[in-house]
Amino acid sequence: MSSICTILGNERAEIVRLGEIAERFGADERLTDDEVMGINLVLDEVVTNIIDYGYDDADRHEIRVTMTCEGNVLTIEVDDDARAFDPLAAPPPDLDLPLEERPIGGLGIHIVRSVMNDVEYQRRDGHNILTMRKTIGRT
Amino acid sequence: MDIFQSTTEPGILTLTLSGRLDADTTAKFGEVLGGAIDGGHHKIVLDLSGVDYVSSVGLRALILAAKRLSPLGGRIVLCGPQERIRHLLEIAGFTSIFTIVATRDEALEQLR
Repeated sequence: MSSICTILGNERAEIVRLGEIAERFGADERLTDDEVMGINLVLDEVVTNIIDYGYDDADRHEIRVTMTCEGNVLTIEVDDDARAFDPLAAPPPDLDLPLEERPIGGLGIHIVRSVMNDVEYQRRDGHNILTMRKTIGRT
Repeated sequence: MDIFQSTTEPGILTLTLSGRLDADTTAKFGEVLGGAIDGGHHKIVLDLSGVDYVSSVGLRALILAAKRLSPLGGRIVLCGPQERIRHLLEIAGFTSIFTIVATRDEALEQLR
C-alpha cells in the first residue's frame, strides 16, 4: 500500500499545487494518463467547491487530501472543516433535458460520481469527509 | 488559457482555445464569449483541439452561452475535442445539447 497526504489552504492557488501532487503520485503509482486526469478533475471539483462555497468566514482553513493505492483500488479522502455539506444529497442531473431547461449547476458532483466507482460522505467531529474509490488498471 | 478569435467566414466567429478551462481561466473565457455575443456574433465555432483540461466551471460557461444564444437563433458548435475531453462532454450530457464535430471545416459547415 502507498499513500500520500497533503494539507491545503483554502485558496484557489492550492488547486494547482494539488494537481502537481496528484501528477507525481500518479507517476509513482504507474497510473494511466486518463486515470491521472480523472483524479485531477475529481480533486479540482471537490476542493474548488469547498474553497469557493464552504466557509462563512475569511479565516485560513485546512483541507486534508489523502490518496491511497492498495492493490487495484485508488482511494481519495478529502477532509475539511467547512460548513456541513453532503454533495451526494443532490439528485443526479437529468441529462435528457433540452438546453432551455438544463440547469447550470450540479455537474461537478455528477462528474465526480462518474469518474469514481464509489463515493461516501460522512460528517464527523465538525468535519466533512468525502471518501472516493476507483478501480485502477496499473500500467 | 489562450483564446484566438477569427472570422474566416462572414457571420461565423471561430474561437480557438488552448490550455485549461478551469475555475481560474473560465472568467476570461466567459468575458470573451459574452462579449462576442454582445457584439452580434450568434454563430460560434469553439475549436477545442488545444484544450487539455476542462472542469465543471468551464462546462457551466458553455451552457450559459448556449442558453443566451438559443433565443437569438444562434448556437455554438464544438470541434476537435481531444478524446478525454470528448468523454467528459459525454459524461456531462453535452452531446444532446451541442453539436460536436471532429474538424473546424465540419463545424463551419454546420453553421452555414
